[in-house]
Amino acid sequence: MKRVWIALAILASILAATLCHSVYLGHFTRDLTALLETAEAEAEAGNWDSALDLTQTARDKWDARDSYLHITLRHDVTDGIYTGFREVAELLHCQEQGEYSAANARLIAGLELLSEAEQLTLQNVL
Amino acid sequence: MVIALVRTIILYLLIIAGVRLMGKRQVGELEPSELVLALIIADLAAVPMQDFGIPLISGIIPILTLLSVTMLISMLTMKSVRFRALLCGRPSIIVENGKLHQREMAKNRFTIDELMEELRMKGITDISTVKYAILETNGQLSVLPYANQKPPAAKDMGLAPEEGGLPIVIINDGRVLEHNLKTRGYDMNWLEKQLQSHGVKKAQEVYLLTVDEMDRVYFSHKEGAQ
Repeated sequence: MKRVWIALAILASILAATLCHSVYLGHFTRDLTALLETAEAEAEAGNWDSALDLTQTARDKWDARDSYLHITLRHDVTDGIYTGFREVAELLHCQEQGEYSAANARLIAGLELLSEAEQLTLQNVL
Repeated sequence: MVIALVRTIILYLLIIAGVRLMGKRQVGELEPSELVLALIIADLAAVPMQDFGIPLISGIIPILTLLSVTMLISMLTMKSVRFRALLCGRPSIIVENGKLHQREMAKNRFTIDELMEELRMKGITDISTVKYAILETNGQLSVLPYANQKPPAAKDMGLAPEEGGLPIVIINDGRVLEHNLKTRGYDMNWLEKQLQSHGVKKAQEVYLLTVDEMDRVYFSHKEGAQ
């Protein structure tokens, strides 16, 4: 009977950890997306410095969780987001409105897809 | 490359733990659920071992999940006969009183060639001498010949051979297993006497020394040790 409890405990721990991970990732990416959308609005208003600060804040938040994200997500996905942040930052420095908007939209979409792929939905299961 | 080394060691240890949990069965004797586990675990471990783009945890979580589910299933199969039959199937009688059960053979996709091969491996060439041939749930064929076809045992011949009991290893490749020595109720003095009687001074010169319940000693000198 001891083995059954050990097996159930392991399964319950895995379930809890994976559910916590998907919930956390949902909040985390929503937070970053909100910052990037605000940054875009600032850039459209001509406040490039403010847009750069907001993007940098999002980038810092991403970097602060770098190890966790690298351990739990596919490395090509995390590398893609990292590249996206650098691209957006460079376009903000150059103040290229059109290209910045496109790159920012790609980055936001990448973050949203990252979170969606980890959610427990029938779509993802199938 | 060092990542490959570390990942391989981690996954290898995890698989060893899994195989250990499956018990002492050999691959050919695995039940269906155990076979599935072995196949999937091998594949799950191989992917993150080679592809560094996949997090190690995405290999570990499925392996741990499979091991836990297997543990649960094995406990359920122990507790419930019905569940065991559902999961592992039931043994099928292929030959009964020398007669082939063709429907049962077809149901198990067991060919006549396979049956003949299994019988030959058990030293049987004539199906009519088989009382029962049963295809077990692990895929092995148990063959029970007619009583008059079985080799006679000592009891059948009215003999009463001496029971030697289980021999215990006292010296294994030059190493004295003191726990086994004590289990048999001997001490180092007894062992020294045994060594002297075989013309040996040290245990390091002995390859194998066993003693059974009738105090019979088997001695094998270590080659090249002088």
